[in-house]
Amino acid sequence: MYQIPRAEWYDLTRATNWTYSYVTEDEMFPEEMSGSRGIPIEEWETYDEPYKVSYPEYVAIQREKDAGAYSVKAALERDAYVDRADPGWISTMIAHYGAIAVNEYAASLAEARMARFSKAPGNRNMATFGTLDENRHGQIQLFFPHANIKRSHQWDWAHKAMHTNDWAAIAARSFFDDIMLSRDAIAVSIMLTFGFETGFTNMQFLGLAADASEAGDHTFASLISSVQTDEARHAQQGGPSLKILIANGHKEEAQKLIDVSIWRAWKLFSVLTGPIMDYYTPLEHRSQSFKEFMVEWIIIQFERQLADLGLDAPWFWEDLTNDLDVTHHGMHLGVWYWRPTVWWNPAAGASPEDREWLEEKYPGWNKTWGKCWDVITDNLNNGREDLTLPETLPYVCNMSQLPIVGTPGNEWNVQDFPLEFEGRLYHFGSKADRWCFEQDPERYKEHQSLIDRFLSGQIQPADLPGALAYMGLGPGEMGKDAHDYAWAAAFKKQAEVA
Amino acid sequence: MAAFPINSNFQGDFVMQLVPVDTDDTMDQVAEKCAYHSVNRRVAPQPDKVMRVRLHNASESFPRDMKVSDANWRPTETLDIIFADQ
Repeated sequence: MYQIPRAEWYDLTRATNWTYSYVTEDEMFPEEMSGSRGIPIEEWETYDEPYKVSYPEYVAIQREKDAGAYSVKAALERDAYVDRADPGWISTMIAHYGAIAVNEYAASLAEARMARFSKAPGNRNMATFGTLDENRHGQIQLFFPHANIKRSHQWDWAHKAMHTNDWAAIAARSFFDDIMLSRDAIAVSIMLTFGFETGFTNMQFLGLAADASEAGDHTFASLISSVQTDEARHAQQGGPSLKILIANGHKEEAQKLIDVSIWRAWKLFSVLTGPIMDYYTPLEHRSQSFKEFMVEWIIIQFERQLADLGLDAPWFWEDLTNDLDVTHHGMHLGVWYWRPTVWWNPAAGASPEDREWLEEKYPGWNKTWGKCWDVITDNLNNGREDLTLPETLPYVCNMSQLPIVGTPGNEWNVQDFPLEFEGRLYHFGSKADRWCFEQDPERYKEHQSLIDRFLSGQIQPADLPGALAYMGLGPGEMGKDAHDYAWAAAFKKQAEVA
Repeated sequence: MAAFPINSNFQGDFVMQLVPVDTDDTMDQVAEKCAYHSVNRRVAPQPDKVMRVRLHNASESFPRDMKVSDANWRPTETLDIIFADQ
């Protein structure tokens, strides 16, 4: 049977809206869900997605992707890579799955919001595929780790993490709920797909795929590459929305949506991806430093894309660039020190060789971060593990929900950015975190951080064991040092030889 | 006397921490309670120095014998704990 080439019918069908007779346009597309911002529907019909695909094409491609990833998994299962992989790499996978898998399902709901409520037919079409994409990502990233539950209960946190009050889960939900689940369709297309997926998802998935290949983990590499090809497609939904907003006098709001999304994504990835790339991935398998990835995938890429759209780099661009030398080192040290509060085993990444690499990539590391690690290393080598474990909670930011960190040691500079609002004292880890709050206090003011919950008596008993129970961490799940302190012992051996 | 939460920003450390103090504590006692969670954990001790308490980024420290109840702090106030000669 003759098939009309896609190019001949696609533009007509994707721009098709229907004429409703039983309901009004406002009932069909409620503003709080659609977010058309008073722009006429004819304008939304000009939405021109850059990536065009028909449903049969989509199904054929996705089938091939799934078959590829699942067959690599099946073929390598007997190889039992997980049993011989470096513990730091195992931690990378367990942290990744817990932070990402269930949020993929949440992303499916966000895509479905665009698929139903966007006034742009092209957006609805792409988002329909996006909904299916994210559903697939949730399933595949739950199925793969599930095979390892027999090895450790920590793998079960792929599913469990986002259903707990673990601090990392609170931080991830706070961000994803903000940009995906509590915004109108157009804001979702900008904050989720443009602000988050074009840069940060790329970095997490492409960066990790590179490190996984280097580490010999071909199952994980094929899985996340398979996910990334979907992301690269549906991440393109935000660009056309931005063009329409800008052309219709909403440039300022478009810029704000992008700025909030990029800042909040940066903070989350400073605790998720930063430690993985610079500390957990075994030294010999690190392809680039986190900072190098950030500069290539976030700084340069966003500058170019924003300029193409006629938008500015976010006002905090210089702060973000400077933070590439600071924030993730603090997040890593915090996660390691408070290791009983996470569902993976943090790798310290602070052996003599690691520290040499860190000093090379981040000049000055030894006289700042190294000062803290010196005290920790001495304690471990003098039988004082107790001093390397926490007895209180770190103070967390009321926007990122992450610890307020800064440069330690000789160049000590840890800053709080407080705000008293309606009689409540809020604490923020940066000027930009506080700025996000100030853009929409009604949205954020009721949220209680882990510290707020602790102080209001929601965590009982009101001590660290009580907090661990509140976070849902049971025996065999709480994190411990990934390498059983072998990295610290290396300093002792070095001293003995000398 | 009553428990009073503060946000401890200890010189040389990398993170702010929740520290419960008491309204009857002097500034020296506040500094000691904050030091417990930083010094010898991630910050090397400085035995020849004293520890002083000041409001975050303030230039002046509180008198060492001043009580928390007299300092007019808000709950969860951010305080810098710094090493000083006296």
